[in-house]
Amino acid sequence: MKNELADPVELTIFQCAVHSIAEEMGAALRRTALSPNIKERRDYSCAVFDGRGRVIAMGDHMPVHLGSMPMSVQAAIDAIDFAPSDIVILNDPYAGGTHLPDITMVQGVFCEDSEEPVFYVANRAHHADVGGKFAGSMGPATTIDEEGVRISPVRILRDGALDREVLDGILRNVRTPWEREGDLAAQIGACRVGEQRLLQLVTKYGLEKLNRWTEELLDYSERLMRAELHAMPAGEFDAEDWLDGDGVTDEPIRIAVRLKIDPAEGAVDVDFAGSSPQVAGSVNAVRAITVSACFYVLRCLLAEDAPATEGILRPVTVHAPKGSIVNAQPPAAVAGGNVETSQRIVDVLMRALAQAIPERVPAASAGTMSNVTIGGLDRRMAGEMGNPFAYYETVAGGMGARLGLDGISGVHTHMTNSLNTPVEALEYAYPLRVRRYSYRPGSGGEGKFRGGDGLIREIEMLCDAEVTLLAERRKFRPYGLQGGEEGAPGRAVVVKAEGGEEMELPGKCSRKLAKGDVLRIETPGGGGWGRRK
Amino acid sequence: MRIAIDTGGTFTDCVCLVDGQLHVKKLFSTPKDPSEAVLDGVRELGGSENLEVRHGTTVGTNTMLERTGARVAFVTTTGFEDTIAIGRQARERLYDWFAPIPQCFVPRELRFGLRERVGAKGEVLLSPMDEELEALADAVRASGADAVAISLLFSFAQPETERRVEAALNKLGIPISTSHRILPEFREYERASTTVVNAYLAPRMQSYLATLEERVSKRYKGGRVDVMQSSGGIIPARVGATEPVRTVLSGPAGGVVGACRVAQWAGFERIIGFDMGGTSTDVFLANAASGAERTSESVIAGAPIGVPMLDIHTAGAGGGSIARFDAGGMLHVGPESAGADPGPICFGRGERATVTDANFVLGRMDAESFLGGEVRLDGERTLRMMREQKGTAGTVEEFAAGILRVVETQMEKAIRVISVERGYDPRDFTLVAFGGGGPLHACSLARALRISRVLVPVMPGALSAIGILLADAVRDYSRTVMLPGEAIGNLGAAFGELEKQGAAEFAAEDLNGVAQRSVDLRYLRQGYELNVRYDPVKPILSIEEFHQLHQQRYGFADTARPTEIVNLRLRMIAASEPYEPQRQKIVPGDGRAACYAERNLYFEGGIRPTRFYTRGMLKPGDSIGGPAMVTEYTAATLVLPGCSAAVNGLGNLVMEIGEEACA
Repeated sequence: MKNELADPVELTIFQCAVHSIAEEMGAALRRTALSPNIKERRDYSCAVFDGRGRVIAMGDHMPVHLGSMPMSVQAAIDAIDFAPSDIVILNDPYAGGTHLPDITMVQGVFCEDSEEPVFYVANRAHHADVGGKFAGSMGPATTIDEEGVRISPVRILRDGALDREVLDGILRNVRTPWEREGDLAAQIGACRVGEQRLLQLVTKYGLEKLNRWTEELLDYSERLMRAELHAMPAGEFDAEDWLDGDGVTDEPIRIAVRLKIDPAEGAVDVDFAGSSPQVAGSVNAVRAITVSACFYVLRCLLAEDAPATEGILRPVTVHAPKGSIVNAQPPAAVAGGNVETSQRIVDVLMRALAQAIPERVPAASAGTMSNVTIGGLDRRMAGEMGNPFAYYETVAGGMGARLGLDGISGVHTHMTNSLNTPVEALEYAYPLRVRRYSYRPGSGGEGKFRGGDGLIREIEMLCDAEVTLLAERRKFRPYGLQGGEEGAPGRAVVVKAEGGEEMELPGKCSRKLAKGDVLRIETPGGGGWGRRK
Repeated sequence: MRIAIDTGGTFTDCVCLVDGQLHVKKLFSTPKDPSEAVLDGVRELGGSENLEVRHGTTVGTNTMLERTGARVAFVTTTGFEDTIAIGRQARERLYDWFAPIPQCFVPRELRFGLRERVGAKGEVLLSPMDEELEALADAVRASGADAVAISLLFSFAQPETERRVEAALNKLGIPISTSHRILPEFREYERASTTVVNAYLAPRMQSYLATLEERVSKRYKGGRVDVMQSSGGIIPARVGATEPVRTVLSGPAGGVVGACRVAQWAGFERIIGFDMGGTSTDVFLANAASGAERTSESVIAGAPIGVPMLDIHTAGAGGGSIARFDAGGMLHVGPESAGADPGPICFGRGERATVTDANFVLGRMDAESFLGGEVRLDGERTLRMMREQKGTAGTVEEFAAGILRVVETQMEKAIRVISVERGYDPRDFTLVAFGGGGPLHACSLARALRISRVLVPVMPGALSAIGILLADAVRDYSRTVMLPGEAIGNLGAAFGELEKQGAAEFAAEDLNGVAQRSVDLRYLRQGYELNVRYDPVKPILSIEEFHQLHQQRYGFADTARPTEIVNLRLRMIAASEPYEPQRQKIVPGDGRAACYAERNLYFEGGIRPTRFYTRGMLKPGDSIGGPAMVTEYTAATLVLPGCSAAVNGLGNLVMEIGEEACA
């Protein structure tokens, strides 16, 4: 049979069409969700998969979600025999998820006469609370069971009808059920938007054409990635970096990597042998996170508009030792693996890569998402009883300096790209008041090019509340490269309402604060690049 | 008498309607003082008493893109001075480790904090003392700022403190923009950014429009000036001067209105507008009957702008874009432009090769008919200079063809952004090509995008001005109410206030307006709203429409779920005087009578004999095959080999795009 290449114009139209479907699902989710974390901070991701569960388009959302969503879709396909208008929900890190607050929904897309789904659409959103021991479900837990409600792949919609028992089972186990219900409805709606738009594509072009274009798109991504690897120096490049600790002990946690680049084959082997065993605290990463970090770093070597598909990972082999910090096994707690360890894995990969292609790799960025969760009872509206609330935010830091450019200040880097909650949206939604939101001058590392500065955010409690921090880069600071200096470490302080004394908080902790107390977060700066003259 | 004038980077287009006939004048723009060309145009079109000049201006856009606006002092709540630079703390490019550092319109030393605070319910928690306001005024004065943007937290819920700051700073005698007036909506960063952009543009726009209006009224008794807004409606210059952020896409908005009208008359529904001017190219997607989508989430030169605008995408390349080879020998076109001064080489003053010169060298511009022969095109000089700059290209023709290929790829990319990348297939649309350069490049562009039909309107080089001439006068009013959905029946009084304001302002302008009411609704606690019509007789219909729209757009709705009324919106519209172009009888013909030359032109496939036609002499029903050139006063249309063009009953050229013919 003649191997006919698709018309390049048609292939572009297809690539853009599926990408815009992912973006459109995202817009629908954002516009209909209830929690500020989704509607304002856009802590969600959407993607489109082919009938075999291979990702063919991802919206420009959260890198940590995007690289790991294929595993969710695969887990859903393995567990459930999809029928038309079924939607499967899951969040179990040991069955397709990454950490419990990230809830994923997967829908199979059927055309009129297909027995099996011809496409899948999926979206993942970070829910501000999924139950567990700590408000916001991001606390210093020591097993997965303390971290919240665990959902293995199960149908939440059966033939288009909501399974009330499944939904209620989830809602009974969380602190803010009405908000969860609204957000989950928005996720369901987003799946349907994706389904509708894909069906329009099928009507317009026919399935046969779409299937051919899918194969070509995947091959095209692979070719782009291999071309990049062909141009790199051959060799083995080792690097390591450390997490401050797991929040239970102060023992540093090592992440080590060896990159074996094989330009002849256009392939790369990524081996995390030598990384610490999994720990008691919550910074364990499941394998999906580790693969996601690899995906992200390699994706950054390609042009910004290169399609992010499964094809990119074809030339890549990832070895993550079972039971280690980068491939945790049950019952390890994992809330922080998604948000903190994922960033450190990126740091390690980039440090290794900097040996191979020094001019193309920036110094370390903040390397932590500086997660803050505040929970309590909002008595502003509901009289004596009060409404439970859970506010979740990540605070940006400094970007690492690059050859020719300083790092950007106060910006989210690498595995996250969530927006801040507007102060006005935050104060509408929660009994909190923001006192300050500014740059943190001088926190970027010196160098020929300076690292970006971190941020300072001060939040006053308008009621007694429980504050949970999950932050890194307190001891091990963001590294500089080529002689550039380290960025400043992160810091958190509580200024007590009574007496005004300042109380330093560790990076990972949960504390009860009183009405009037002010929490101040100072995030790390980025590392410098090149020796300062 | 009404004259519409659209100032572009290279030309200033002027049109007026006399006895049902459109008259057009094209002049070189005068970038140092754009009003010179405006006044010349008015004079040449015979401006008279009670003159109404309707203006589309690029002063705002250019000021932002070139970053030549005011030194803006930004006043906000203490502790939040940096928020104008931090923005939403997210990065624009997800996978780019070398993304440039975003530049804030307000440098660090011009950000001022004020000890004050308003809470979420609009309650004043901390009110600044008069001495503090005095100190602020001194600090702002000392900073050398020449405009002020005030955006305090929760100002839309309680504007009192902003008013006090405004009063205290008034004595500085510089323009002040306050957030509760510019964009009384929540989300502090977007509101502040819109306010800062307004301040950034204010000094220049105020003096520009004031001078222009003064000169017009001095020369023509009862003369006045109106301005086109980015949303596609006309406002008085005085309003445009205080709210310049509403006019950032003034000229392009005229193009949208013009293209939609022309397409509607010609019976085409879905269009892609392609407006190629001297310095930039605007593209947009529209439904001819309802116009282009409006967006309140625009970003211009990196700054979010929250006031409504037509959804127009701009690419930084046009006829005046300069071609150059980079160190690696790769050919680039734009974003640097020769503009009106010095202009392209062929206009006699420029010395660097532009897209226009490439077209000229390839014979795609006709020296005699260009602007009625008023501008002499210097062939010898152009050839000489192009030869000097052709770099590694074999011949001047190859160099010229290379320039066109590069610029057309950029245009193609711009159209992809608004069509393909939003999931629309360009094949489902008619390309409406206008602007001085649109018709020359439309055939090739349509071919690349698989668009089968191109509409070149009458007077394509002045379509934006025509759109401005035909646009309605529009004022938008809004008010945030935050009420439960059950209150939908009790909005009469609140709407009444908006209507009173609108009616009074329209009466002051001597306009008869029609009010369009709408409400922004959402499910309780959602973050975004849907805009639905509001019928004062049956308000409950709004809620029903909301559920339907929510179902349609987002795939679910729940009539039992509580709703929330966020904003009331009132749009006052005074329709422009109706204009219907005359339709002529179609008589099939071959346009032979209009053919005035046959020349050998260079195409990718080789040299081809090409007929030249005078557009004004082509008759409805005439059909010509490519390769052909149709020349006229404001532009020239190129019909490529394999394509054809026919004149319809309104005088528009409708081109059918065929496969590329082999030479």
